[in-house]
Amino acid sequence: MTPAMTTEFRAAGTDLSERRRSGVSKGPLMDIVPASDISGMHWGADGTLRIGAYTTIAMIAADRSIAAAYPGIAASAQGLATPQIRHLATLGGNIAQRSRCWYFRNPHIACLKKGGTDCPARSGNHLYHVAFDLGPCVAPHPSTMAAALLAYDATIITYTRSGLSIPDVLGDGSNGTADNLLQPGEMIRGIELPKPMQDERAFYKRAISRAYAEWPLVEICARAVVKDGAFQFIRLAAGGIAPVPLRLKAAEGALQGKAANALNIEVAAKFATSGAKPLPMTGYKLDLLEGVVRDVLEKLAA
Amino acid sequence: MSTMTINGRVAPLPDDIDAMLIDVVRTDLDLTGTKLVCGAGVCGACTVLVDGAPVASCLMPARAAAGKTVTTVEGIGTEKLHPVQKAFMVHDALQCGFCTPGFIIEAAAFHDRWRATKGTATPSREEIGAVLSGHLCRCGAYDGIFSAVAAACSGQFDGGDIVSPRVEARDKVTGAAKYTVDINHEGQLEGVILRSEIAHGKIGELDFAPALALPGVGAAISLLAEDRIVRFVGQPIAAVAARDRKTALAAIAAIKVSSEKLPSVIGLDEARKPNAPVVFEKADRKKAGNVSEGAGAPAPWKANIRGPSAAFSLKPKQVRSWVESARQEKNPLLVEGVFRTGTQSHTCLEPHATVAHFEGDRLTVHASTQSVFHLMELIAKRYKLDHDKVRVIADHVGGGFGSKASLGAETTIAIDLARAANAPVRVAFDRHEELSVTGYRPASEVKLALLPSEQGGLKALSVTAYADTGAAINSTIATLARLIYPAEGKELADFDVISNLPPGAAFRGPGGPPMAFAVEQAIDEAALRMKVDPIELRKRWDTDPNRRRLYEWAQGLDVWRNRKSPAEQTGRYRRGVGVATGYWLYLWQPGSKVEVSVKGGRLIASTAIQDIGTGSRTVIANTVAREFGLEPHEVEVHIGDSKLPVGPGSGGSRTTASVVPPTLLAIQKLKAAIEKNAKQKPAPGSNAPWRELLAASPDLTASGVRPEDSRQMAPGIESPLKQVGILGWIFGKMMRWMSNMVIGAGVPSSVQVIEVEVDTWLGHVRVLNVHTGIAVGKIAAPALARSQAAGSVIQGIGYALYEAREIDGRTGDTLSGGLEDYRIPGIADTPVIDVHFDEAGFDHVLGGSVGIGEVATVPTSPAVANAIYNATGIRPMDLPIRPDRLISALKGRAAA
Repeated sequence: MTPAMTTEFRAAGTDLSERRRSGVSKGPLMDIVPASDISGMHWGADGTLRIGAYTTIAMIAADRSIAAAYPGIAASAQGLATPQIRHLATLGGNIAQRSRCWYFRNPHIACLKKGGTDCPARSGNHLYHVAFDLGPCVAPHPSTMAAALLAYDATIITYTRSGLSIPDVLGDGSNGTADNLLQPGEMIRGIELPKPMQDERAFYKRAISRAYAEWPLVEICARAVVKDGAFQFIRLAAGGIAPVPLRLKAAEGALQGKAANALNIEVAAKFATSGAKPLPMTGYKLDLLEGVVRDVLEKLAA
Repeated sequence: MSTMTINGRVAPLPDDIDAMLIDVVRTDLDLTGTKLVCGAGVCGACTVLVDGAPVASCLMPARAAAGKTVTTVEGIGTEKLHPVQKAFMVHDALQCGFCTPGFIIEAAAFHDRWRATKGTATPSREEIGAVLSGHLCRCGAYDGIFSAVAAACSGQFDGGDIVSPRVEARDKVTGAAKYTVDINHEGQLEGVILRSEIAHGKIGELDFAPALALPGVGAAISLLAEDRIVRFVGQPIAAVAARDRKTALAAIAAIKVSSEKLPSVIGLDEARKPNAPVVFEKADRKKAGNVSEGAGAPAPWKANIRGPSAAFSLKPKQVRSWVESARQEKNPLLVEGVFRTGTQSHTCLEPHATVAHFEGDRLTVHASTQSVFHLMELIAKRYKLDHDKVRVIADHVGGGFGSKASLGAETTIAIDLARAANAPVRVAFDRHEELSVTGYRPASEVKLALLPSEQGGLKALSVTAYADTGAAINSTIATLARLIYPAEGKELADFDVISNLPPGAAFRGPGGPPMAFAVEQAIDEAALRMKVDPIELRKRWDTDPNRRRLYEWAQGLDVWRNRKSPAEQTGRYRRGVGVATGYWLYLWQPGSKVEVSVKGGRLIASTAIQDIGTGSRTVIANTVAREFGLEPHEVEVHIGDSKLPVGPGSGGSRTTASVVPPTLLAIQKLKAAIEKNAKQKPAPGSNAPWRELLAASPDLTASGVRPEDSRQMAPGIESPLKQVGILGWIFGKMMRWMSNMVIGAGVPSSVQVIEVEVDTWLGHVRVLNVHTGIAVGKIAAPALARSQAAGSVIQGIGYALYEAREIDGRTGDTLSGGLEDYRIPGIADTPVIDVHFDEAGFDHVLGGSVGIGEVATVPTSPAVANAIYNATGIRPMDLPIRPDRLISALKGRAAA
């Protein structure tokens, strides 16, 4: 059976419906029944937060407690897609959505994710593809929420497993045939966020050509605790640049414990592109990555 | 069976797991105000309220609406109009109206939330931009939408009656306006097209048996020519009509096709290579499409390169030698460069669509067309039918921009299928078809050299343009550089580069924007090197009286006077101001006829014109109303039907100049007849004499035919073709004879001054302010002309910054086939737009008005580019000026 023929779960359908209409998805469907345990927010007594997979992006974006405790999660939810999508789309669906690659989305073109033998974008037009070439498929992972969850060390709970990290669920980019490593029939139930740190702040930024409503060329969710003029804690997670959301560990390392000043920020921004392997058409994403990192770091330092 | 409550009524939901909410709304319930445009949740046209929240009904499974309350545009303001609807009407926040229901839903929901918490405070531009960020309007009505939403939220439309400057606005804000895609005859079938998946090949036998065997399939037909050759991905091979789209798609998939691939060539660079496979052999050249508004002149054609079309050159050999000497001498004033522009898709929100319906030997065609009358003629000719047996109807048209000007595949296929199936058939393209095979403004490579004289005049201009026309010909980019900035010599050469891509088509001022992008940046660069103010230099080099007045206006703008030089700016965000000029031809259509009648005391004006959002209905209503001292809404206007007196096509900005003069003539005659038949003269001193006369008048009719213009013109006003001498005269005659268009005297002109802000970290450009000065004579419908001017700027910003068709260079597949990958401007990308109309210059035209649609978009991309240069010192050579290109230029790297 080709991947397209396995049963696909449907939450709100904001990704799936388009693939059904175009004919990219033709296999059996199963609608998720929104039970109460997979909808809404559940705050733990220890300050942790569990968000049900069926919670809409709009609910997360509008929730004041989330904005206070996990501002990077709220800002990411506010920054993705459009209001009419955010009202429908769910957190689980956002994490498990399929690639936006224009070859993948064309029903007439074969690709690795549709049972094909190679990646047509790699040798073709990959203007909006990865700048960290980590595997056979060069489409960036589309989930903005996954990058934000990565920045927060969130874990994912499915109906069969729990405590899964974002890399546990989305992989390291080496598997080009799927957008995630969920097993057949495995469904995301929710996510768990650890208790936020004292005095931590966060910002989200995406680089796009227009003002709104565009898949990010590059996006970043950044958290930090800046105390006594220094980065006591820093976490940078980027999207739009790799087959999976990526921690920018070299840049984090360059800032950890260092003074929150312009020079250190500029140096760290340069480290953001460590390990990058751009494709012929995606070198610009490294410049943009440097730019968005500088942008959020300056805000964190301010 | 589950149900939902929709607009206050309970409605059943289908069990089909793949049925979307929009299918139920539009098809099952016939609530056609909700529109399907992108099918991907990008454009917002399908927005409905579900339990009060605006959602994309094209992506929401129908079964998810079970137990919920749904409100469509038909459920907003049913008793009385919602304040947002009234505000949209008054502020002319719409043009073609196809996106309007979605905007109304979202804006009404926002308004109600806002009022509940903020009373009558006025929301900011930023707040409105964010809340409407999921809606796209291709006409660019955003300027009016900002004003409308702000005014409604601040309580200005809570009560009372309103009058809209656009006569059909009420139907558009309530969803009552019927477009071609909304037509649903009894027993109507849905037509779907099987398209080529290869860029060049020969198609073998088609086996329709498995398709015809499917229940619900009414017809399956071949669309191949005798040679069975396809020349681009997406070329029609066959078509099927079935009871619904799902069945038709299944039938298409069931057709067995075999094909033999032939060598293909994709795009400008490959097609110019010496051994490139040839797209059209000599015998097949008639099959090539046309990217211009008129018929083309003959030109040399070798392999895939057609050209040079160089008839408008002046002393080309001397130009070559002057430029060569200047190069040798390293003359610092010689400006040279290679500019590249992107492929721009029309992106009409209403797709190309036709419903064909035979009743006996009579054929009625509802079509989304820019020319109801001419389309009727073309159909009659092709199918060998008498004119009175064919009727083309288009009450409302959801955008055209040049792509719906002729007889398209959607129409012939709908007619062929209707005949074969013996049933009415609708063909409506999906978004991928719309963004791949309905035409586009070809990309181009423009090589330019500009040489000022020692005395500071313009000595020579050389422009050589290669246009990426796909399976089409007739690009006129360099040619247009002849009709502005007279020089001692001009070397102008246009080449069509033909490849296995879908054919380009005429698009709003064809050839104009790419010409201006190159020439206007070269002028800017020359001014800089000559140390002359760029507007001052244009005044020196440009002799046109209409534009000279606009230059005076532009020089007085504060934003121009206060601009800085690139060197003065540092830091992340930099601001710049740029200027550019544009022109278009003043065209009108001979034979255009308008009938004005009084019937039961009411005035009716009729002509077979169509309103594609540009406001032709209103132009006629205003003209009649003004002459009789009435209000425009008191005049009934009948258009959009080929049975009416012959009307002009909506192309070449010709409608206003074609219909206003005959309307005035008809009015003159009607007035005389009314006075003659009047039993009683109006009371002396009556302030509404015509109102009294009309009320008492018997039913009378008069008509007028478009007269020739007066030969009495203002000083300096003449046909732009005069500059080209005898060749210009021939060109003018050919336009009239072959394309039924007259190139009149006087040049519609536009000068734009644009301010941008560049984010040098993210390569992002924000257009802050646009001042657009326009000289198109007297303004026939001021609010609507303003909308056209602003919309032209917004489309020009799309061309400058965002829009580019992306293809696969190996296979010829269109990759940007959806609205998320083909990026048109959104409301938050809209600058503050100041429109200045200079109404002189066209007194020789009866009524004094000419068209605005094209000229107003020509200067936008170079003005943006010149502003970016002013901000950063970087000269943008490639359109669109996307972040990837700008950041690479800022970092001194080569872009991909």
